[in-house]
Amino acid sequence: MKKKRVLSLLLATVMIASLAAGCGSGGGGSENGEEQVTLTILAGQSTTDAGIEDMIDEAMAEKYPEVTLEWECVDWGNDFQPKMQQYMQSGLPDIMIGKAQDVATYAPQGILGEIDGQYLDRGLDAARENVTIDGKTYGLVYNAMYQGVYYNRTMFEENGWEVPETQEDLQAIIDDCKEKGIVPFASHMIDTWAIGNVTMQFMMNDVFNKDPEWGDKFRAGETSFSDSKEAQTAYQYNKLIYDNTYPDTFSLEETACDAKMVQGEAAMKVSGSWSIQSFLDIDENFDFGIFPFPNQTGDSKLIFEPNITIMTSAETEHQDAVNKFLDVLTSDKDLAVEILDYTKTASMLKDVTPTFDNPSQSDIDKYAAEGRIVDVTLGNNQLIWGGFQEENAKDIAAWLQGDETFEQCLEASDGRVDASSAQ
Amino acid sequence: MKGNKISALEKKMSRQYFILVLPGFIIFTIGLILPLILAIRYSFTTWDGMSPEKPFVGFQNYIDLWKDSDFRNAWWFTIRFTIWNTIIQNIGALLLAVILDAGIRAKKIYRAVFFIPCLISALVVGFVWMKMFSNVLPALNDLLGTEFNFLLFGQKETVLAGLLIANNWQWIGYWMLIYLAGLQSVPGDLYEAAKVDGAGAIKRFFKITIPMLAPAITICVVGITTGSLKVYDLLVSSTRGGPGRASTSVIYQTYTTAINGRQYGYGSAMSVTLVVVLLLVALIQVKGLKKKEVQA
Amino acid sequence: MEKKKVKIKQRIKPGKIVLQIFMTVLALLFLTPIFIIINYSFKTKKELYLNSPLSLPESLNFDNYVKAFDKLDLVTTFGNTLLYTVISVFLLAVLCGVTAWAIARCKRKFFKFCYVYFIVGILIPYQALFLPIYIIGFNLHLTNTRYGIIFMYVATGISFGVFLMNSFMSTVPLELEEAARIDGCSVYRTYFSVVLPLLRPAMATLVIMQAFQIWNDYLLASLYVSKNDLKTLTVSIQSLFSAQSNDYTTAMAAIVISVLPIVILFLALQKYFIKGMTVGAVKG
Repeated sequence: MKKKRVLSLLLATVMIASLAAGCGSGGGGSENGEEQVTLTILAGQSTTDAGIEDMIDEAMAEKYPEVTLEWECVDWGNDFQPKMQQYMQSGLPDIMIGKAQDVATYAPQGILGEIDGQYLDRGLDAARENVTIDGKTYGLVYNAMYQGVYYNRTMFEENGWEVPETQEDLQAIIDDCKEKGIVPFASHMIDTWAIGNVTMQFMMNDVFNKDPEWGDKFRAGETSFSDSKEAQTAYQYNKLIYDNTYPDTFSLEETACDAKMVQGEAAMKVSGSWSIQSFLDIDENFDFGIFPFPNQTGDSKLIFEPNITIMTSAETEHQDAVNKFLDVLTSDKDLAVEILDYTKTASMLKDVTPTFDNPSQSDIDKYAAEGRIVDVTLGNNQLIWGGFQEENAKDIAAWLQGDETFEQCLEASDGRVDASSAQ
Repeated sequence: MKGNKISALEKKMSRQYFILVLPGFIIFTIGLILPLILAIRYSFTTWDGMSPEKPFVGFQNYIDLWKDSDFRNAWWFTIRFTIWNTIIQNIGALLLAVILDAGIRAKKIYRAVFFIPCLISALVVGFVWMKMFSNVLPALNDLLGTEFNFLLFGQKETVLAGLLIANNWQWIGYWMLIYLAGLQSVPGDLYEAAKVDGAGAIKRFFKITIPMLAPAITICVVGITTGSLKVYDLLVSSTRGGPGRASTSVIYQTYTTAINGRQYGYGSAMSVTLVVVLLLVALIQVKGLKKKEVQA
Repeated sequence: MEKKKVKIKQRIKPGKIVLQIFMTVLALLFLTPIFIIINYSFKTKKELYLNSPLSLPESLNFDNYVKAFDKLDLVTTFGNTLLYTVISVFLLAVLCGVTAWAIARCKRKFFKFCYVYFIVGILIPYQALFLPIYIIGFNLHLTNTRYGIIFMYVATGISFGVFLMNSFMSTVPLELEEAARIDGCSVYRTYFSVVLPLLRPAMATLVIMQAFQIWNDYLLASLYVSKNDLKTLTVSIQSLFSAQSNDYTTAMAAIVISVLPIVILFLALQKYFIKGMTVGAVKG
């Protein structure tokens, strides 16, 4: 008798729990007449991208109301890889949104679906190059960012500084800045990713521009950070920045850093298009331009980075719906302009131009006309971000702080050779 | 006959006790022990956390751990963090408890104020203290015209101090409450007797208060050490293990190695090592402190 | 005269005044970060960039709260968090009580082993086991369900609960239990009619401690739940942190919203909590 009472009590608790669970699963996409499909999307976003999911939802609801999107938005830098790892054990979401370099990481695992040519054709040809593996394209690149040195145009004009082409030119500006009490470089080294990002910019112009297969040679043992003068130069530029930036760079957050620059405390910032959003948020009249960080040979190129990249699961049960999603993204030009204006990025679709006022656009056009633009995916595919570039950046920070010697920092990067590629 | 009956009853009772333990036992085993066993298995492989193959390498990962300087540094940081935490938090909490117990006014308000931070998740605590050190406190310098260095998270020398402040802010009130509870259970006539014997306040504290608090001290010391050895959430939203690697804890290092570095097998070896160390530390502490309790 | 003097001296001991001042200053220091959170939560983005962090907001605007309310999907996430917390804590209270009692009362080897077995759980850093936890959860169809996340909260909370309850058991007089048994009560009946009422203070401690653990949990929730309508408050706050990293005024408002309920719960139950601590933790 008493046993029963206890059992029934336990049973009741279990029932409450399962009832609660039942409520949850019942709440999902209910079927009514038309074939309702819910697509799951894992979106690894940068700070500038947060919010575009609402825009896409709206456009989707207009053209294909039968498809509902179930978003899971995470921070690309910290949470995208863990989430992908997690889902590779259980089954991927229908759609994943990441960066172009993710294709090289995940496609070899055989989990990504090929993207239909009709959607790819609506994008620029340049968009395909680095997301194609063995002739198959696994990613749809949606927009792009530019990276280089953002500079305060008004300040440059007032002081009569020309855009520097060589290291000597740059040094002259730095010296003049210091004389006038201006901080040469804005930076926020509190963020390890920022150090990693600029290091890859330096690597592109001093290493990969001369030797496009440097990463493969590094893995083959033909070169290393301890041997390569060029790679060491790229690392050393970090010291140049560190010596010529805010003294509290290791405590300064991105927004505060950008605010200081906009207010005229600093002249330049090695960064990427993501900074435009915060520049203009602080002062919509801030006038700035961009130039590539000068390399040793004075022929550096502006860096171009395919950003939002859509990947699809090879095993999705809703290929039709996934294609509808791709269709909306590639054909809805209003949506594209809205997203580009919001994220302050460049288009990778044919015949789509953002309408926001980008003060640095004239510079970008100039470098594009001269053919001085390079896709950073080349470097990012050979030297992977997670586990390699990111870890190296920590050593660079430790070196700048005097915690490690430069040699130790190089050796640490060399020691990570096995983790430098996804394969 | 009678003996049989008793043992039958005992058997029945044991069975009933067993049934009571069973549900918890099963849930716990599936939810926590099974993953641990799985992690032990992975620690003998070079699995990358993604592909279906999990190549077996025996003890190679554990051997590699010995040579891994980043892992050693992570341990060094974690140990320093733990030792300082154990000292500061215990003394601080005890001190606060003693003061509150000394009959000052508005005791309840102080108690609540010190306790509230521990209701906030460590994630938020890290986020808030990062703002405190990088924005708020430097602004205080501007206001007062002082030159204190508040940028504690920005230098390798001070990042530990900064994290200790954040962590103690969060937890000191919690342990204070346990000490306070302990103090209130010390019978007052013990003090009276000591007073009659002519013992001074300090002598009374060490001869009566401390020994009577022994069980509370055990709980606090074990709780603080094991908690500090597991520090992770606090770092995620504040220093992210930096600057450089100056504040990378063992769990933080494990996580970045296993996940971002795609070396799941190796990372698993790190977590297994940590579990073993935690077990040993807790065992030694409980044994040691219990002995003291008995002596007292 | 002499007597009076002593009395006055006792009333305003200089030492006490010093202590009182010391505690007030310390309490104010402790409150600074909380003040900062609230202060920021009322600021606009422009004020955040251009004004001193210490300055008060120009006006008491609730825009950030409205935005946080919206971005957090507060009704859903709050409801979810509440549901998970309440059910998990209830189950924990039931399970930890019976488990700890059975372990304390039955002298067989197995139960001694059980005690150690459960205690080990306190020491397992489950952050480091996240992939195995997920793999097992997925294979048992626990992921993306409400009962799955509740299951995990129970599994990770049970160690500490058993530890706490077990240390309290020594204060439950055996005579009462024996009397009940002589009256013919089964083990179960004994527990629910005799022991359970005596455990109330410890239960209060357990409930509060577990409630705020679960309420603030991030890792397990982010691991087990990815569907929007199952999400918890901390998970949406964390995404707000990263999404709004250049406008953290909204994140600050979100922090206030998320912490408030648990603070109110604590203040309301403070009395029981302290009592529970006294008997629950100190008698260990």
